[in-house]
Amino acid sequence: MNKAINTVVVVGGGTAGWLTAGRIAAEHLSNEHIQVVLVESPNVPIVGVGEGTWPTMRSTLLKLGIREDDFIRHCDVGFKQGAKFAQWVHNDESEYYYHPLVLPQGFNKINLVSHWQASNNAQSFSDSVCFQEAICEKGLGPKMITNAQYGAVANYAYHLNAGKFSSFLQQHCKDKLGVQHILADVIDVHENDMGDISAVITQQSGPISGDLFIDCTGFSKRLISQHYDIVSVSCRDTLFVDQALAVQVPYENDNAPMASHTISTGQEAGWIWDIGLQHRRGIGHVFSSHYQDYDDAYQVLARYVGRDISQLSVKHIKFDSGYLEKFWHRNCVAVGLSAGFVEPLEASSLVLVELSAQMIAEQLPACRSVMDIIAKRFNETFTYRWERIIDFLKLHYVLSQREEPFWVDNRRSESIPTSLQELLHLWRYHPPFDHDFTSNNEVFPAASYQYVLYGMGFKTDFSFHQNNPQDQLLAQEQFVLNQKNTMKALAMLPSHRDLINKIKQYGLQTV
Amino acid sequence: MASLVALDAKEHRNLKVNSSKVEEVGADLHMVPVVVSEFTKLIVNYPILFTKNADTGQFSCIGLMGFEQGENLFWQEREFKTVYVPLNITRHPFYLGKDDNSDDDYVICVNRDSDLLSQTQGESIFNNDGSATSILRAAQEDLTQLVQGERQTQDFIESLSSLGLIVPLSLDITLESGEKKTINGLYSIDEEKMENLSAEQLVSLNRNGFLQAAYTQIASLSHIYSLINLKNERDANNPWFQ
Repeated sequence: MNKAINTVVVVGGGTAGWLTAGRIAAEHLSNEHIQVVLVESPNVPIVGVGEGTWPTMRSTLLKLGIREDDFIRHCDVGFKQGAKFAQWVHNDESEYYYHPLVLPQGFNKINLVSHWQASNNAQSFSDSVCFQEAICEKGLGPKMITNAQYGAVANYAYHLNAGKFSSFLQQHCKDKLGVQHILADVIDVHENDMGDISAVITQQSGPISGDLFIDCTGFSKRLISQHYDIVSVSCRDTLFVDQALAVQVPYENDNAPMASHTISTGQEAGWIWDIGLQHRRGIGHVFSSHYQDYDDAYQVLARYVGRDISQLSVKHIKFDSGYLEKFWHRNCVAVGLSAGFVEPLEASSLVLVELSAQMIAEQLPACRSVMDIIAKRFNETFTYRWERIIDFLKLHYVLSQREEPFWVDNRRSESIPTSLQELLHLWRYHPPFDHDFTSNNEVFPAASYQYVLYGMGFKTDFSFHQNNPQDQLLAQEQFVLNQKNTMKALAMLPSHRDLINKIKQYGLQTV
Repeated sequence: MASLVALDAKEHRNLKVNSSKVEEVGADLHMVPVVVSEFTKLIVNYPILFTKNADTGQFSCIGLMGFEQGENLFWQEREFKTVYVPLNITRHPFYLGKDDNSDDDYVICVNRDSDLLSQTQGESIFNNDGSATSILRAAQEDLTQLVQGERQTQDFIESLSSLGLIVPLSLDITLESGEKKTINGLYSIDEEKMENLSAEQLVSLNRNGFLQAAYTQIASLSHIYSLINLKNERDANNPWFQ
């Protein structure tokens, strides 16, 4: 029977659930036949560790019809202008590099890598080609109070409080987007004759039927794995970390400076994230239990925080890095932690939710007979994306020169995906550029690979191809332009804390 | 920053204002804050636009007088060549300050450092019996109109914003000298969006008197061309170009 797809049932009410429900509801707001229902257990707490976003979150929020100043006021938000990686190359406290969110100067005209390398100066790659590192080092925000909502001087993403974000989205989705919210525990799943899910059976509200079911149940994978037995592809042989200790550390006072970038610091058997929200920092130690036991990992975290953490609540999370063999099976699609999980090194979790929600919303199957075609496309797209993310995360480890066993083993070729090995070989003689990444479904642009490679001291051998004089002139212009932009940005941007305070006080204009 | 002191009939009994120089305050301003109640007078000469306060991002209304910092094209031969001079210029050197003893009351202040004030030259602000002279009474009226006007102007801006009517205006001008300029940071009401308002929205704007103000603002945009002409004339008279 070729049935219309009218009722979308989202199971799970964390950020993944509400973002997906909201995105679909917003896309189809004018179509009265399409109804989005979100079923959430009143008893299962959300995991809520996804606190770093990509710049894509700006367009996602805009699509949901959310005001940026409302979001900043309600979700403890700080601006994020990329990531600072400290002690990743050597175990040396003074060492760091940036992966900013602004493209290298003139990126659409010229690849600056060979020119930067030839100049042989002490200035880092990121600092030579992009003004964002300078802004971050000075603690400045990415925009001015006179910039409109979602408008920027420097491209930016957010740090947010995941718990507050879920509640905020919930309110918005119910009030403005007509999402129906049911608080109930799923106790069973019913199938129709074809093997599609016809309804989820709940303890409090009986059966909830629908045409498409979205599994946002987190690690429990209630529909996709518990019901359909879809298994995961593990990537633990590539990405070794498997546990995290997370803690929330309040600031000393209300006006303490807030970092405007994620700080990621290499440790003996993993790394520590450090993100600045309005009232606290979120800090977590991600480590591999094969190389470090819980007690040592706890000590590493305590040492980083620099004060007694026994009074703070430390969340212990165990995970198996990997992603589903198939995300969309029959009329069920997994989004969020249920689809997969890798260490939050490049904040890939929420962006994958956004991309999934976008694809489901924009390509919502009109009827059952076309669903399998779209499902196949979805599976190909997201398998590709997960593979690219894993390659990119692994790159950070491959280029390290740290000597601890965890790091040494990370460089063994059998742990490096073939796709990445091939690119690494190419990059020994060609710097990364757009022609390396030609799919419509890329997640990281070539610029990101440049920032990480040359930030970590990688050298490309340009001896076979010389720079031509015209390009040298053009490159020189870009370096000078970047210096000018840096000075301009430093002179005009407010401190991150001041910017947040002003936005909370005055709001942002829509234009 | 102006150094403001509250006016006091005893302390300031000898204070004098050089009225003939008041308008000089605006000689090198390229924009001046204005209020809605001035619109019908401004429309004779000034483009009326919106800008954002650099410190708060909030919109205010301004009369445009030039295209760059320090340039007032209406200021010629030491006077305003306009029929009307905005309140925010004529009120000088007087200001309103909050009364320390009461939150709602205002007191009139003067800027002690103003060149317009002296003990010897100009016109007195207090009579011998301590009452206000016509100079001070006129200033009181200006200030009252400004305070009420600012409140009304904020309401006006809020109504427009909530209807999404304010849009950025990018001015690309080409002068006779061949020089091209892009002027950013200015905003205007979008005429097309005005035309698409529903009947209820129009009625609600009209009820507050904002409908006329909105169309006055839109109509005033044509004065940008007059300003460009003034700029071309000024350049033509500039010895540099002879």
